[in-house]
Amino acid sequence: MFRLPLLLGLLACLAGDPTKVGFATLAGFDYQEGMKLPKDVTDLDEQVIEVRGFMQREVPGSGPVSSFMLVNDACGCNGTPKLNEVIFCTLPDGTTMDMKTVTVTVTGKLFVGEEKEDGVVIMIYQMDADSVQ
Amino acid sequence: MHLLLLACVGAVSLAFWPKSQDPAAIDWTAAVDKACTASRYGLRLAAAKQVANGGGAAVPALRAFAQQKGQNQIPGSLVDTIADADGVDAALVELLREWAGNVDFYYRASALRGIALRAPKLPERREELGKLLGSFHQDPAWLMRTTARFGNALLGDDAAIALAETDPRARVRLATLLLAHGKTPPLQTLVDALAEERSFLGNSWGKACADEAHIALKKWLGPAHPLANGGSFEGDVQKGIRALLGPCQQKSGQTLTMPVAVAARPVAIAGGIELLSCKHGDLHLQWTADGLVQTGIDAGREVTIPAAKWAPLWNDRTALQLRDSLGVVLCDNLRVCWLAPESNVKIAPLALPPAAVNWLKQLAAVIEEAGESRLAADLRSGLDQFAAR
Repeated sequence: MFRLPLLLGLLACLAGDPTKVGFATLAGFDYQEGMKLPKDVTDLDEQVIEVRGFMQREVPGSGPVSSFMLVNDACGCNGTPKLNEVIFCTLPDGTTMDMKTVTVTVTGKLFVGEEKEDGVVIMIYQMDADSVQ
Repeated sequence: MHLLLLACVGAVSLAFWPKSQDPAAIDWTAAVDKACTASRYGLRLAAAKQVANGGGAAVPALRAFAQQKGQNQIPGSLVDTIADADGVDAALVELLREWAGNVDFYYRASALRGIALRAPKLPERREELGKLLGSFHQDPAWLMRTTARFGNALLGDDAAIALAETDPRARVRLATLLLAHGKTPPLQTLVDALAEERSFLGNSWGKACADEAHIALKKWLGPAHPLANGGSFEGDVQKGIRALLGPCQQKSGQTLTMPVAVAARPVAIAGGIELLSCKHGDLHLQWTADGLVQTGIDAGREVTIPAAKWAPLWNDRTALQLRDSLGVVLCDNLRVCWLAPESNVKIAPLALPPAAVNWLKQLAAVIEEAGESRLAADLRSGLDQFAAR
């Protein structure tokens, strides 16, 4: 179960350093549902990236998580993150981790594009997070 | 044939035409519930938008939810969305007033932003709302006082922009709010923030401020923004800032200078606390093994605790070396951090164990004895929110 993600992570590392991406790029435009996303952002689709931010639970709770939201705000003081201000990160299958309370650097493959549920866009940035440090 | 085609196109267009909300046709209780409790963030946001667009019609359901589940179960995303919506119904403005004035409500600063954005649209209430905003100019919570000053600036009171502010996050936020709402502030604040890299106990607040400033300038400059690759500074920050200066000067007419990078004083921090409270305001304290205590997110002030007073605290530090996060954090929280053995935990209100509370009260006592009675009082009042009862 753990071998495939590890192998993918290894292959990603062998393929070269991940592209360093900041929220100034991901969030640097006013997102409107259905819009054509900027090329700077769509160019990152399916790229292995490295991004710094803060872990946030999608739902308040406690205990380890298998997925989390990565935002550019430690305290929630930036207001509600817009959908282009959040990366929805998923850990490899079967993996969980404790929420970290400090800035983290997440590496993994980013997927860019509107994802809908019940006819509503629920995310535009998803990431298969291979490492969280 | 043409008529048939027209009819087909018309039918299809109507089917996809965005429907305006008919407040009477919406189950506001369900909409509010979804905005507060849906398991997906995006679904909560979409429902929040529906509630916000409902204006006064949604207010009874909001009040009922708060009554039933507790006011702090209303998420910040819902309050933010209502704050940023257009509605100026009296019932909605009254609800925002109540929320903003309730010190126990986590998202009172968001509610105050709702007042700030509506005040210019309500000429008959301008004076009243201006006074309300002014009453929060010195609020201990940085987000409250920043929003209050922003609101008064929108009403034409430029003196509110010039009020003294020690928290670097607040200085950046006021400038970005103003810029986003068509009022160009002194841009040097944002230019200086672009070079911020300081952090506090692993919280890289400086980078977050730099990103916030950059995003605001990027949106304001639009096509005049000079940097390729999404405007990323990754690689060479100074080069990026230098490229931004020209367009910013040109558009604002202001003289701007390159920022001087501010580095934290190199001291060996052993531990500290980060108390984030929308009620009492934030409190940042970190200390060295020999009793140098720094305060402020930028560690801007220092207190030296005499060795005789510090030694007992240091020897008893295991009382504050917590292994696990405690309680469910919704908003306000206390982070306790030690570097050796390394630990970093978050504590929700009413969840800090008595031994840890006592240790921090003793810290407050020695800080007071060292002549910093205001800081000691802030620590005691901040602790009150987190002490387990």
